[in-house]
Amino acid sequence: MPNFALLNNIAHKDLRVVRDHSAQYGDNEMWAVTFPQEFRAIQNEYPIFFQKNSENGKFIPVALMGLRQKENLFLTDSGWDAQYIPASVKRRPFLIGIQPARSDQGSNQPSRMVYVDMDSPRVSNTAGEAVFLPHGGYSPYLESIVDVLEYIQYGTELNEIFGDALLQHELLEVVSLEITLKNGSRNNLAGLYTINEEKLNALDGNVVAGLHAKGYLEFIYMVLASHANVMKLIARLEARLQNQ
Amino acid sequence: MTDQITRVVIVGGGSAGWLAAGIIAASSPAHVQTTLIESPDIKPIGVGEGTWPTMRATLETIGISETDFFRECDASFKQGSKFSRWTSLSKNDDYYHPFTAPAKYHEINLAPFWLRFKDKINFANAVCPQAAICDLGYAPKQISTAEFGAVLNYGYHLDAGKFSPFLHKHCVEKLGVHYVGANVIGINSADNGDIKSVATDSCGNIDGDLFIDCTGLQSLLLGKHYAIPFISHKDTLFNDSALAVQIPYSESAGSGGAKAIASHTLSTAQTNGWIWDIGLQSRRGIGHVFSSAYITDELAERELRNYITPAVGQKMAEELSVRKISFNPGHRQTFWHKNCVAIGLSAGFIEPLEATALVLIEISAKIIGEQFPLNRSAMDIVAKRFNNTLGHHWQRIIDFLKLHYVLTQRTDTEYWRDNCRADTIPDSLREQLELWKVQSPWLQDELLRDEMFPSASYQYIYYGMKGGTVIPEMGTQKPVQMKKLKQAERLFMENAQHIQQLKKVLLPNRDLIEKIQQFGLQKI
Repeated sequence: MPNFALLNNIAHKDLRVVRDHSAQYGDNEMWAVTFPQEFRAIQNEYPIFFQKNSENGKFIPVALMGLRQKENLFLTDSGWDAQYIPASVKRRPFLIGIQPARSDQGSNQPSRMVYVDMDSPRVSNTAGEAVFLPHGGYSPYLESIVDVLEYIQYGTELNEIFGDALLQHELLEVVSLEITLKNGSRNNLAGLYTINEEKLNALDGNVVAGLHAKGYLEFIYMVLASHANVMKLIARLEARLQNQ
Repeated sequence: MTDQITRVVIVGGGSAGWLAAGIIAASSPAHVQTTLIESPDIKPIGVGEGTWPTMRATLETIGISETDFFRECDASFKQGSKFSRWTSLSKNDDYYHPFTAPAKYHEINLAPFWLRFKDKINFANAVCPQAAICDLGYAPKQISTAEFGAVLNYGYHLDAGKFSPFLHKHCVEKLGVHYVGANVIGINSADNGDIKSVATDSCGNIDGDLFIDCTGLQSLLLGKHYAIPFISHKDTLFNDSALAVQIPYSESAGSGGAKAIASHTLSTAQTNGWIWDIGLQSRRGIGHVFSSAYITDELAERELRNYITPAVGQKMAEELSVRKISFNPGHRQTFWHKNCVAIGLSAGFIEPLEATALVLIEISAKIIGEQFPLNRSAMDIVAKRFNNTLGHHWQRIIDFLKLHYVLTQRTDTEYWRDNCRADTIPDSLREQLELWKVQSPWLQDELLRDEMFPSASYQYIYYGMKGGTVIPEMGTQKPVQMKKLKQAERLFMENAQHIQQLKKVLLPNRDLIEKIQQFGLQKI
């Protein structure tokens, strides 16, 4: 279970974070949440599908990194073998939390605060990148993390309105990936959704223009283009099985 | 063609009228115009609050959003019924009739294999995970399950007083049902004896080709106008009265348990009847169904107030107002006569033991919509079939409800003793009971393709009430038997594992309903 602590430069002055990628740091996941702003970079390497958030049933886009539970096919002995690592992976072990507005501090806006998961295996006092500078200022690493967290915050809101737009035009459909490997073993990936191309192609011109004006049309085609990467994942899995 | 059937006129609102309107408008041919006449003065009886799983398909067919239904009808999940003290007076005497059939039901009858272990585990728990999930108070699906999709089979509990207006709005706005708010004051006949039109107090004569009588117990068209005889079944099913009350959930802090919504109907046997207990989101609906021949209203009311006392305290239990409903258990001899069909209470009513009122409305309206007679001569044939089918359903309902009584070991009152008397048991049921002594209920007990009660329901009740079946010796085993035995053993084991898996992914009923309120369910 995560143990999130509000980040501060006194309690966490010696905090360091391991930035390597490996199974021991929890990177052995078959998918990661992704965001429309990074679809262009993601679709170059990962298939993008939609899944339902188990907490609220809302659709969220995910980048597939594997075809079996607890298997990330991009992980190698020398780290994460990809040009681009999803923002939701890069942020670890940090998270943005929203603090409710406090009247005693003269601000009536809720404030965004950075939290750190103290139980993450990445957290250390000796190894990895320093989070704070010796005098207490943000390290360049933390600066970059704050940028990533802001990016995710924006992306999370975008996911919600993009998802609503897709549902409004009934553009999502269930997809079932049944993959048979050379050794005869079968993998069935359930609970995935993607763009319904039939509905997309039948959209009224005005609706298409509306989606285009918001930039959603590009997102939609990025998702469709990304599906070619399923073959690349299968190739990675076949190669892995052969080397075993 | 002059005798084309294009105008359907439904007389009466309520759950029956509006459900029929929705189903007929959604499933009949495009040229059919549906009109519903509702009296502004007559309040619906509004007691049918439990549905079958069929209601999911019905709502979906009508085009209703399940999320809206939960939000607007105070609805909750119903995964079946739990019967307490029906077999004996023992405090822990209970059994479940879950909506989910035993595992691989159409491949293998698990009952004979379970019978060897009947002293170790009850039937429902051995063959299906649903009873265990009900005991935990968990919901039958997840927030990520699509609308009308299920992890475990379910129907609903709903507020009948909210359901009708909800359906009304949908029928008028989305399905083009024509609404007339007026009192029907007369019936005008055509030369052939059909109903030509109904006269109203404020909207003149309303013409129609097919009239649906949803006028409740008064049965204005079929009963009063056509004088179709009523067949009472009081000799078999004694109950003819109900006392209904609504109670709030406990408001006391930290009482998560007291605010929990049960996801099954709880039915607790009394001295001369039984009490229903249905949990909605905002309240519980509770009622005592009894036979006025065996107990006075006063004593029945006392039993009802005693029942609610632990939940609401002595003071409130004495003060809450109780509503009395009287009925003659039975149905009309035929249901479709000339160009008039009765749906709902106007067709008949028998105690709500297995929530058969709403499902009969669904079945009746579905037949009308799907087998819609295009002309007057086709109507007589459809009517004949309709009468045969519904007649069969009523007979099976009566047998199935009586089954809940005849296996009781209770002898504490004349009511329970009389319920077991041979002359109160229909021949058809007596025959089945005789057969089940040596042959476990299964698919061979389903005589129609569309039986109302699947034979699995007979299994749950029969074995729930400790009915026995003599099982043949397994001494000289044939290979096919060995194979079945292995399959049965595997299914029993998988069921136990399934329960553990479901415990991890399902939520308490109220938690899921609150999520539906907040986030809604997805359509896909």
